[in-house]
Amino acid sequence: MKTVEPTDILDYYDGVLLFEARDPLGGHYIGAAAEPKDGYDRFVVTGVRPERLREFRAGAVDLRTLMLESPWGEWYIALTNGDPGESLVLEPQEGNLADTTGLLPLEGYTLDDGPIDDPVLQQAHDRNNVVLEFSVEPSEAARGHRVGMAALGRLLLQMQSVVKYACLSAVRDLSFRDRNAFDARDGYLMDVVVPAAPGSYRVILEAAKPPDKFGYGGLDLGLQRLDEVFACAGDPGLALESLQKHKGQLASSYIKLMQFLSDNDTGLSYSWAYPGLESASCGGVSVADARRLASTLSGVTSRVTEFVMLEGEFERVNRRRGDWGLLTDNGGVKTGSIAVDGPDLDGLEVGKRYRFQCEKVTELVAGRERQTLYLVRVESA
Amino acid sequence: MAYREPLPPDCPPDDAEEITTRRIVYRLVESNPPTNDDFRSLLAKEPDRKRNNDTECQESGLSVFSRSNDALSCTKFAKLQGTMLCEVTLNRGSGRILRTGNRRGHHTWWPLADFDILANSRVV
Repeated sequence: MKTVEPTDILDYYDGVLLFEARDPLGGHYIGAAAEPKDGYDRFVVTGVRPERLREFRAGAVDLRTLMLESPWGEWYIALTNGDPGESLVLEPQEGNLADTTGLLPLEGYTLDDGPIDDPVLQQAHDRNNVVLEFSVEPSEAARGHRVGMAALGRLLLQMQSVVKYACLSAVRDLSFRDRNAFDARDGYLMDVVVPAAPGSYRVILEAAKPPDKFGYGGLDLGLQRLDEVFACAGDPGLALESLQKHKGQLASSYIKLMQFLSDNDTGLSYSWAYPGLESASCGGVSVADARRLASTLSGVTSRVTEFVMLEGEFERVNRRRGDWGLLTDNGGVKTGSIAVDGPDLDGLEVGKRYRFQCEKVTELVAGRERQTLYLVRVESA
Repeated sequence: MAYREPLPPDCPPDDAEEITTRRIVYRLVESNPPTNDDFRSLLAKEPDRKRNNDTECQESGLSVFSRSNDALSCTKFAKLQGTMLCEVTLNRGSGRILRTGNRRGHHTWWPLADFDILANSRVV
């Protein structure tokens, strides 16, 4: 009787599904879980050539093909009532393995998730989350692995800001139902998980919230939107076109980021991934392009209008000027004025709760944004 | 904190993560809709198997995958042919989980007794 020693478990699901083994002479074998028999786990085992085994492990060969090309067509059955951690006795079998039923795996099984070369994708898998890595090379980095505290703080805020507005921009394009599924309050938030990775000054972030029923809380969509914007970084004309398409706060946060990079004499490169991606997505801007963009885009003017619903306590009113303030449930006071043809404020009582439908106008002038709320409709809450 | 099934000593291991936020995992089931039998561990189903301390703890948990494709690829093995892909929504209070095994998406999940597995599972 031939025996083999299992050397590696290649796949597992409530028990071993696939193992690699060696015989006392160093020959290579592979064993795949077949239908159990008489209370025993049953494995079909074949010899394999080392180079084909390597190709299988790399995802280049299908398991069924590998087993059917066993040298001399020999194949075996191994029975065990435990995991095949110790020596297994192989019972030689007669006949053609291809003609059997309930033994061989179906076609198409590959080990296609071998080692990941991409460290960001690896991080995404390890964390089972969206991961964004970015790196900068400010002038202080020339003196070693360092970055100014103020610069790092501002950079993190700028990155979070541009990610936030990229997410909100992407989510605005979704259907009403999908948009509601996205938690707009914090779905775009990211946490710093590696603040100073080796290399140039590298920071790794992951989504503060893991995937929800919407997938990755809209963050993946936002990062795709960010890719679209950064894809034009080498061409100020195209960048302007892209920003005019996305406008509003995404444009202003991107311009602020370019200004920051220009002021700090650094480019920026980033890479992001989530576990389902085949490869990480990358983007970035050189310091020269950041300077050019900051200078070209700082004079851009845009205006974007959207409708928002606010609910809260009517907090203040200036009936003569038509100004109002609403204390919203998150504790902030939203202020605004009345839209042309909007309602008058005469019947509203300070201290009572109302729902305000407003037109929110965001204007971007010379890299600065200004928002104004215009009341369109009001109802008791 | 009571687990759904009795566990061996020191199990789940310390590095198993307590599930505190919503996440989707995939498991293979034999029934549609899934039944409690689909969520019995190997240790509970086959208590007399030969096992060492490590495999005993792993076999007291349930195999789940973070990606549906990984789970589906397992159905190509003769042992699992005919099983169906089931999506399980985990949330705070659903137990502890640890990435285990060589396949990237494979995890072992130790469910808590109070977690209503069937209400959070559906064949997809």
